[in-house]
Amino acid sequence: GSGAAARGLDVASYRERVRAMFYHAYEHYLESAFPYDELRPLTCDGQDTWGSFSLTLIDALDTLLILGNVSEFQRVVSVLQEGVDFDIDVNASVFETNIRVVGGLLSAHLLSRKAGLEVEAGWPCSGPLLRMAEEAARKLLPAFQTPTGMPYGTVNLLHGVNPGETPVTCTAGIGTFIVEFATLSHLTGDPVFEDVARKALKALWKNRSDIGLVGNHIDVITAKWVAQDAGIGAGVDSYFEYLVKGAILLQDKELMSMFLEYNKAIKNYTKFDDWYLWVQMYKGTVSMPVFQSLEAYWPGLQSLIGDVDNAMRTFLNYYTVWKQFGGLPEFYNIPQGYTVDKREGYPLRPELIESAMYLYRATRDPTLLELGRDAVESIEKISKVDCGFATIKDLRDHRLDNRMESFFLAETIKYLYLLFDPDNFIHNDGSDFDVVVTPYGECVLNAGGYIFNTEAHPIDPAALHCCRKRREEQWEVEDLMREFYSRKKTKKLTLKRAPDHGEGENAKDSQDASSEKAGEKRKSKKSSHSLLSCPSQSFNSKLAVLGQVFLDNT
Amino acid sequence: CSRAKDVTMPAKLPVNFFSTRSAVIDLFRGQLDYADQLRQDSEIVLYFFYAPWCGQSIAARGEIEHVASRLSDQVLFVAVNCWWNQGKCRKQKHFFYFPVIHLYHQSFGPIEYKGPMSAVYIEKFVRRVMTPLLYISSRSKLLDFLSNYEPGVVGFFEFNASPQPPGYLTFFTSALHSLKKDYLGTIRFGVVTDKRVAEEISLVHSGSVYLHRHANTSLIYPKDIMNFTAENICKWALENREMLIRWLRPHGGKSLLLNNELKKGPALLIFIPYNPLAEIHPLLDEITKVALEYHKCNKSQAAEADLQHAGDSDSPAFDSSVTDAQLQFSETFPIAKYPCCNTVVLPQWHSISRTHNVCELCVNQTLGVKPNKVHVPHCNFLEIEAALDSFYLQEHTFFQVISNTIECSNFLSFYSPFSYYTACCRTVNRHFLSFMSSEKTIFQTPKVAFSSHGKKDNTQFSIPHIEDRNCFIPDLNISSTNITGLSCRTNKTLNLYLLDSNLFWIYAERLGASRSTHLKEFAAIVDLKEEVHYVLDQNQSLVGPTLENFIKNFSVLYSPLKRHLVDDPSVHSAEEHVVTEVTTSTFQQTVFLSAKNVLLLYYAQWCGFCASLNHIFIQLARLLPPDSFTVARIDVTRNDLPWEFMTDRLPTILFFPHQRKEQSVKFPEDFSVNLPNLLKFVLHHSSLSSSEPCTKECLHKESVLQQGHISHLEREIQKLRSEISALHQAHDQLEAQLSEARREEQRLQQQKHTLEKQHKTLQLHSEQLQATYDQKNQELLEMAEKLQELADASENLLKENALLRILVASRGGKLQSKDEIEEPLQSEQTLPEDNDISLSTATAALEEKRIDNIDTIETEDSSGNRTE
Repeated sequence: GSGAAARGLDVASYRERVRAMFYHAYEHYLESAFPYDELRPLTCDGQDTWGSFSLTLIDALDTLLILGNVSEFQRVVSVLQEGVDFDIDVNASVFETNIRVVGGLLSAHLLSRKAGLEVEAGWPCSGPLLRMAEEAARKLLPAFQTPTGMPYGTVNLLHGVNPGETPVTCTAGIGTFIVEFATLSHLTGDPVFEDVARKALKALWKNRSDIGLVGNHIDVITAKWVAQDAGIGAGVDSYFEYLVKGAILLQDKELMSMFLEYNKAIKNYTKFDDWYLWVQMYKGTVSMPVFQSLEAYWPGLQSLIGDVDNAMRTFLNYYTVWKQFGGLPEFYNIPQGYTVDKREGYPLRPELIESAMYLYRATRDPTLLELGRDAVESIEKISKVDCGFATIKDLRDHRLDNRMESFFLAETIKYLYLLFDPDNFIHNDGSDFDVVVTPYGECVLNAGGYIFNTEAHPIDPAALHCCRKRREEQWEVEDLMREFYSRKKTKKLTLKRAPDHGEGENAKDSQDASSEKAGEKRKSKKSSHSLLSCPSQSFNSKLAVLGQVFLDNT
Repeated sequence: CSRAKDVTMPAKLPVNFFSTRSAVIDLFRGQLDYADQLRQDSEIVLYFFYAPWCGQSIAARGEIEHVASRLSDQVLFVAVNCWWNQGKCRKQKHFFYFPVIHLYHQSFGPIEYKGPMSAVYIEKFVRRVMTPLLYISSRSKLLDFLSNYEPGVVGFFEFNASPQPPGYLTFFTSALHSLKKDYLGTIRFGVVTDKRVAEEISLVHSGSVYLHRHANTSLIYPKDIMNFTAENICKWALENREMLIRWLRPHGGKSLLLNNELKKGPALLIFIPYNPLAEIHPLLDEITKVALEYHKCNKSQAAEADLQHAGDSDSPAFDSSVTDAQLQFSETFPIAKYPCCNTVVLPQWHSISRTHNVCELCVNQTLGVKPNKVHVPHCNFLEIEAALDSFYLQEHTFFQVISNTIECSNFLSFYSPFSYYTACCRTVNRHFLSFMSSEKTIFQTPKVAFSSHGKKDNTQFSIPHIEDRNCFIPDLNISSTNITGLSCRTNKTLNLYLLDSNLFWIYAERLGASRSTHLKEFAAIVDLKEEVHYVLDQNQSLVGPTLENFIKNFSVLYSPLKRHLVDDPSVHSAEEHVVTEVTTSTFQQTVFLSAKNVLLLYYAQWCGFCASLNHIFIQLARLLPPDSFTVARIDVTRNDLPWEFMTDRLPTILFFPHQRKEQSVKFPEDFSVNLPNLLKFVLHHSSLSSSEPCTKECLHKESVLQQGHISHLEREIQKLRSEISALHQAHDQLEAQLSEARREEQRLQQQKHTLEKQHKTLQLHSEQLQATYDQKNQELLEMAEKLQELADASENLLKENALLRILVASRGGKLQSKDEIEEPLQSEQTLPEDNDISLSTATAALEEKRIDNIDTIETEDSSGNRTE
């Protein structure tokens, strides 16, 4: 794209087009598909896909608020409270139920005050939506009852794990719980959720290969890797994502050190010319020179930890694939420059747009708005049908499929809208905040820094603090303030205690986990800089816009 | 239902992309064959290959329509949908992006346009394709052509000899060819047909091609070395062209353009709004002038006094007639690059003397050409010869020169009225030291000499004359007052670049261009290696002199330029936040000059670890007394700070204690950032405490502190009150829930009672049922007994009956035996029949009885059935 086009991009009009897209899909879902999980846009009816929870409605709930539709948000909350039942004899994916249902309900719970709902006195540490989220999460807990602590992939919501259930779970299906489960534990006070999520994460960490990579599928009983392809895409993606997001949300050094170790191995073995390929997890040899649509979240993740230069370079690679097809094929063969057989579809996934949103925050590069423009034009031109937006079955000829995944409204539309709405409350940089008085004390909430779960449901880190940490710290802070005003008398008190090890209570665990490898390295690292920090941007980043990239000076 | 799963839908049929009223022919079904046909009808064709879903194609559509509306009478505009998978285009072409623009000049093509998708640039390019060669009819046109900052290639073709002179077509094609390589057409091609005009640039033979250069020697295409083909000419021109100042036009895709250019060294980026279609570009001309001056370099002298040196072996016309000794000299002479100069060592006066008189003899045949525009044209062997001749004629004038100064003389050639010669002579020791110094002095020669001669010669060039004059020898320090040739005098050489601010203003903004200005002009020097940049004062207008000053200020040893710190303009200091937002411009004021303790957070919006701390800093700011503490933060992505305050990790927390601001302390990185830790940190380092005996001041402080404490406690009380009210609320809520629960309990209790009652009645009912059941059972048994009795009775009867029959039979037999033997068969036949039936009924009854004995408990129904 040229500068001229970027200059002329009318952000407000694209924002309104995205809004119209949302309602086109949302209203047809309500009309033709509710209470089924998903809309079938070609036949104009509904179907249950991941359970039977009116999934699209739960998933789209917080998007309504981000678009500013308070009244519909309130209506849907009451509909869900009455209508959704988790005591059903349904086999559900543990992973999908967590990210879509638990995540959706948690974020709706945390946003409900902002949406003008009357909240109960104990909010944000109690509330009807939180109780629903907890109920849903409890249904998933039986899956974690394995010798390794790594969960089964599927659980029956009524009967627990089915006898004869396969013990093979993908890596992401094991490592994508910490954001929702730690939030649940912090808000409700029941540590069981965070505990199982951490245990699963540590099991994966323990089972990484000698060269520091994890495979695609593992047997949760025997801890043997069943699929040994290592990469950053399908089957693994959100595991890495949750290590970073968990580290940020919980100020947890241990999770971050795990990610940084993986990041090193990923760079060493899978990165070629700003692409990330698939390699054999033990040998590091390339097994598939393929870019997957799902991998496009990676640049966004890199920007969160400050690796903006590399993020932008990889993003620009991915963007060329979009320009070739008007969407991202599930698999793209990099050397051949074309789609891979049977993997030509584009189910309107959000990942590249997600990265564009994060990167736009960091760089304000008009190129990123251009991607947004391209996405709006493509999706409207190619996949819009009378009843909604249809999955693109084949990007080569733009044939459509009778499906509209719930992530289209939960993620794709949300990230697009946020890209075109830089003043949205979600982008709050901390200049605005709410003060909420709870029976346990006063909390500062909604001060920005929202962590999106992997289904784009935002979690307010301040709420976690409010419900747990703040209570722990309250009296200490009181004492310090007293001392502050009478310092002359008690001077000796002002010495600090030893450094906290992440979350305090996890200090022991973290030493266990990183004892073999990271142990010595961490000592040296400690002296250089904190793990929970980003590098400041280099000088040349000022000019790294409109496609310009810079090579390292060193 | 399951069938619906497999429902798919083919892509929608293509529709018009361009409006039917537009001047663009829209082949939206991808009819490439038809597009090719169309090409036959028009000399110039523009193809716009698009994909209907592509945002960039949609954005470019309007631009193309605009160009088409202006050029449709001369150019055919054809748009082809190259995505539609039933179309020919999609089947034959394989594009990785859209739109793709191809141009054809008759049969030549495709020439791909790769420039900005903006109407003016596209139109310019189309116009270049329409007329790749500029016809240069007169000398003044030639001068105009050559004076342009963009490199110019001139071909000389005599048309009077034949309708089309040999090589002309090749030259024409090479002009088209260059557009393929060079989408902006920065090399311009011109053609001269008039012999006299051609002579201006020393082209004699038809078919010769000339590349004009401003600072270096112009070149003639070496036909004898390279084949005269379009590709070669184009390649030769591209390789040898001068790039004194370059346009940077990033194409928008991933590119290392800026990286590669800026890594070459410090760069001056000049942003001006540029319209490629405009006839004149006064500002651009002015900037070009500065660039030329700046690059005159070692040739500065040549430019002034046109001192040239015949050391350029690349020059095809060069043929040195000087002796080996002289060559040796010319080689050691540091300014040996002058292409059209010759070093002449004069015969020694005193053979013992270790000095020589050395003259630099240069040819300048461009006096007739506008000064400052065309300084150093091509060097010609004949001319050098002529110059030498002239020189030796004047030789005696130089013999006396034995000095350390350089003396220059200019004299006109008697061969060509357009040429004159310069001879600069000096005495030289064999030690190179003096050469080195002389080199410097040569460069200092001011412009005066040149301009005066230029004027003179313009008016009276026909009269051969000799002019002697002492050249001005300035001090050896680099003069900061002169830009001419500065690029070679300084070790901080700048590369000069132009950017169109209509397209790339964002870079200017990144470098700190003010957003308020309407005039999009901006200049900045970027030094990637040193990680600094300087900005031309934006209050000054961007004109030649200010630019010159800017360059000079950068070049001098102790540069007065200050590193520019980019400031975030979006932060409004008027807005009051709990956490003070610091910018580059308010840093000093808020942090250093303030009479408070300052806790400063370095953050970036994009850094996840920073954003999740927002609430902690807000809490801290609300906790600390605002009259003695400031909690502040600075977004270091948008605000540059002096080196000493930079930080390489984010977040970083610094504490600047009141009255000891220079002793800032950093919050230790291995501590987790939470409220108690921050409070302790602040508490530990704040300068409130003093163990000295209390004076009045101290008492005052103490009272202030206590006042603060009181207000803090008041706030705490306030908070506790609201907490209490929240608790009350929660209490009420619980109460309500409790009473609700009680009501529920009561309701349940009642329900239980009713249920119990129901249970009792049910029990009664069941007892009754049991009783009736028993009764019925009894009745049944009785019935069975009765039946048994009946059966027994009937059995007895049967037996009796049988006995009776036997009796009757015996009686009958007796009777018959008594009578005749005629009718006994008939009676015997009927009798066994009767006997049979009664026997079977008797056995059935017996069997029934047996079943009854086995199943003693049978339902009423079945027993009823049976009884029925």
